[in-house]
Amino acid sequence: MARSLKKGPYIDFRLEKKVTALETAGKKSVVKTWSRRSMISPDFVGHTFAVHNGNKFIPVYVTENMVGHKLGEFAPTRNFRGHVAKKDKGKR
Amino acid sequence: MTLDETYQLGYIIKTHGLRGHVVAHFDVDDVKAYQKLKTVYLTLAGAPTKLVEHQVEKVQPQPGSKVLLKLRGIERIEEAEPLRGSQLHLPLTQLPELEDDQFYFHDVIGFTVVDENLGELGTVENFYELPQQDMLAMRYQGQEVLIPVVDELVSHADHTKKQIYVNLPDGLLDVYLKPSSRDKDEPDEFDEA
Repeated sequence: MARSLKKGPYIDFRLEKKVTALETAGKKSVVKTWSRRSMISPDFVGHTFAVHNGNKFIPVYVTENMVGHKLGEFAPTRNFRGHVAKKDKGKR
Repeated sequence: MTLDETYQLGYIIKTHGLRGHVVAHFDVDDVKAYQKLKTVYLTLAGAPTKLVEHQVEKVQPQPGSKVLLKLRGIERIEEAEPLRGSQLHLPLTQLPELEDDQFYFHDVIGFTVVDENLGELGTVENFYELPQQDMLAMRYQGQEVLIPVVDELVSHADHTKKQIYVNLPDGLLDVYLKPSSRDKDEPDEFDEA
């Protein structure tokens, strides 16, 4: 069941405080957080969050299409495998 | 042709219908660039080092990175069934040419990471595919440091100097180098009062 609209999105107050401080200072430092359940608000766009996955921090650079998702969605908790295999994947 | 001379295009997921079609996953940035594919090399699950050439009759992109594939000579589901799980390869010469500052992930393994402010940092060890963005893994002071591969943070690579240029946000290296605890970084509401 979806969260009631009247409550508004859930964002951890400590995380919100850190982002507000960065916004007012005009800085783009990495925000360390354990709050995987916090929703990504439009204020987060352009900031990098180090989201804890239970073991280590995964940096997440927030873009516009992530707004409305939870931070935890972008920091997998299971082992993730790298790909050093030759593939048609890269930075264009 | 050997495996070293090819790159991994994807793999066959399952058969589709009764006329020998297969569904494949193309592990590439742009699936539509492969719509006019003529030939593909398969490595069967039983013989992972042996490449078998197949002519491609039809490539039909599906939503996401899936593709409906019809190989010449494979006309029935019974012939397509053994191909399930096979890896698809193409010659390295068919990799699209990139501009000087662009790079393929496999090309920059071992490159030195250079930050615009901090200078040389470490070497590229690996790349990880995460749900929303790919991640560059760098070895720095014995720690694995992850850097999201986005235009804002990873700018370009210099293939002659074997360097990759990044613009790290403040505090990213500290996340990995300085021990942290939730109690200190994010004290409870009641503790603050």
